[in-house]
Amino acid sequence: MKTRVFILITAVAGIFGFALLAGPRPINPFAMSGLDREILLFVRLPRLVVAALMGGGLGASGAVLQGVLRNPLADPYILGLSSGAALGAAAGIVLGVSFFGALTVPLLAFAGAIGTGLLVGLMGWRRGGIWPERLLLAGIGVGFMLSAVLMLFLSVSSNEGLRRAILWIFGDLGMSDWKLIPYGALLIGLGLAIAQRRAKALNTLMLGDDLSHSLGFSPRKETALLFVSVGLMTAASVALGGMIGFIGLLMPHIMRFFVGTDNRILLPASALGGGALLVVADLIGRTVMSPTELPAGMVTALLGAPYFLYLLRRRDVIG
Amino acid sequence: MLRVFLMVLMLFISVPAMADPPKRIVSLAPQITEILYALDLGDNIVGVTTFCDYPPEAREKPKIGGMSNPSLEAVVSLEPDIVVMTTDGNPKEFQARLETLQIKHYVFTARRISELPDAIRDVGAALGVKERADEFAGELQRTLNGFRDKKTVAPLRVLFIVWPEPLVVAGPGTAVDDAIELLGHENIAAGARLNYPKYSLEEVLRQAPDAILIGGMGQEDMKKVSVGLLDRLKNTSAVREGRVYYMGDGLFRLGPRVVDGIEEMADVLDEACK
Repeated sequence: MKTRVFILITAVAGIFGFALLAGPRPINPFAMSGLDREILLFVRLPRLVVAALMGGGLGASGAVLQGVLRNPLADPYILGLSSGAALGAAAGIVLGVSFFGALTVPLLAFAGAIGTGLLVGLMGWRRGGIWPERLLLAGIGVGFMLSAVLMLFLSVSSNEGLRRAILWIFGDLGMSDWKLIPYGALLIGLGLAIAQRRAKALNTLMLGDDLSHSLGFSPRKETALLFVSVGLMTAASVALGGMIGFIGLLMPHIMRFFVGTDNRILLPASALGGGALLVVADLIGRTVMSPTELPAGMVTALLGAPYFLYLLRRRDVIG
Repeated sequence: MLRVFLMVLMLFISVPAMADPPKRIVSLAPQITEILYALDLGDNIVGVTTFCDYPPEAREKPKIGGMSNPSLEAVVSLEPDIVVMTTDGNPKEFQARLETLQIKHYVFTARRISELPDAIRDVGAALGVKERADEFAGELQRTLNGFRDKKTVAPLRVLFIVWPEPLVVAGPGTAVDDAIELLGHENIAAGARLNYPKYSLEEVLRQAPDAILIGGMGQEDMKKVSVGLLDRLKNTSAVREGRVYYMGDGLFRLGPRVVDGIEEMADVLDEACK
């Protein structure tokens, strides 16, 4: 197990270094022009950090959620947070809110996601804690409702700006800059820390509420706490760069093939794997059709899905 | 006998061409509406899209929905003599639906500036205003030739931004690209493989355009949303030396106002050359 974790960390570090220097026009770190340095520090590095944060947050959220909901199909977006983020951003654009300047859209998206999270959490709350089945259904219901409102906005508005501004929600890393990174890192770091501290409780939750209770945990409270961690990570990742599919749903499964089901190892492994996958997807997205960029979210699924299917065919044990 | 038959047949064939222009026209695109007004058919228009905002009178016409989602029911209820649509924005299925309902329609296919004069002649002939259309198209052709012949002193490398975040620019095969070439300059995004590609910020920094044009809806709005992008391009000569220009939407519609769009572009690029 130790060697596998070591291999994983080394691979991820290697991927980050490679992605930073590679591209349609590779940069040689030992002979950089002023332009190269500017591109490296202010275009590629922030982009890479955003991809790593988003991918990491989504991978870990997926692993937590699949455990909490005891459902292998759980995906961080199933809780409706991404629909809330899109609606928050769209509403802000329509109402002409702009007091935070360039940070307006991400902040509104974050507010929309957190607001949705609170609503879903409230709907899932009964008798002093959160119940997984209620949480799942509330998330799906709220998500559909908010998407419908967003579609309504888009179909009745003839504001071309709104349509284009909402494009980012489908995953855009091309314009990532340093401004949002400290906040994103803080929120995703906080979410990861909460989840990691409660990883043992999450292990027991997967065995069922009764067993968890008899092992000394309070299932309702643990579920609520873990939901907060998922909410923070997902909301921050959507606000950083929109929606990226696949990672939250399938990266935890891929990592279970490698490191097993113990959440104390699975959570950080899913975060590392998710971050690395998105970094690679973004590298490919900005390289293959250069100077046109392909959305990283699409590349992620094109890259990850066949690999996942390959693992599924090869291994006997599933999750 | 055959001769009589042919004469009768000719009579029937020639009648539509000599007839008055259709009384009830529905336009399915803003540039079509503008062309119809330019051909003095404005009074005959009975339906337009929600995007048809020019000339101002067009806003008063009954609406049949958007460009990509026109309402078939709304179109049918207007009992049009002819529906004028375009391959650049209207869904192909809509044409098939009009065919099954046997509603007469004309499909406008021009996508490039060079195709516009002939396309206007054709649509004019189909709508019974051939003379007016020939005259208008001839004038348009002369104006376009005028732009082409007035060669620029110093060709510039230009980037035309359609939307700043995500960064979408005008690529090859667009009216914007045609206009840049017509004026003797170079579109740095001409090598992209899409009409309106999501463009790489890194490439913009590397290709270092001499001038940046930002097109779109209200200039104030575009200024507001472009702040972040221009800050990131602050080390390019275009931004450092103040050669960033905000333009109207003339070049986004392949209609009569394309000329105004080219004129506007010629003016700012002349200024940029100084």
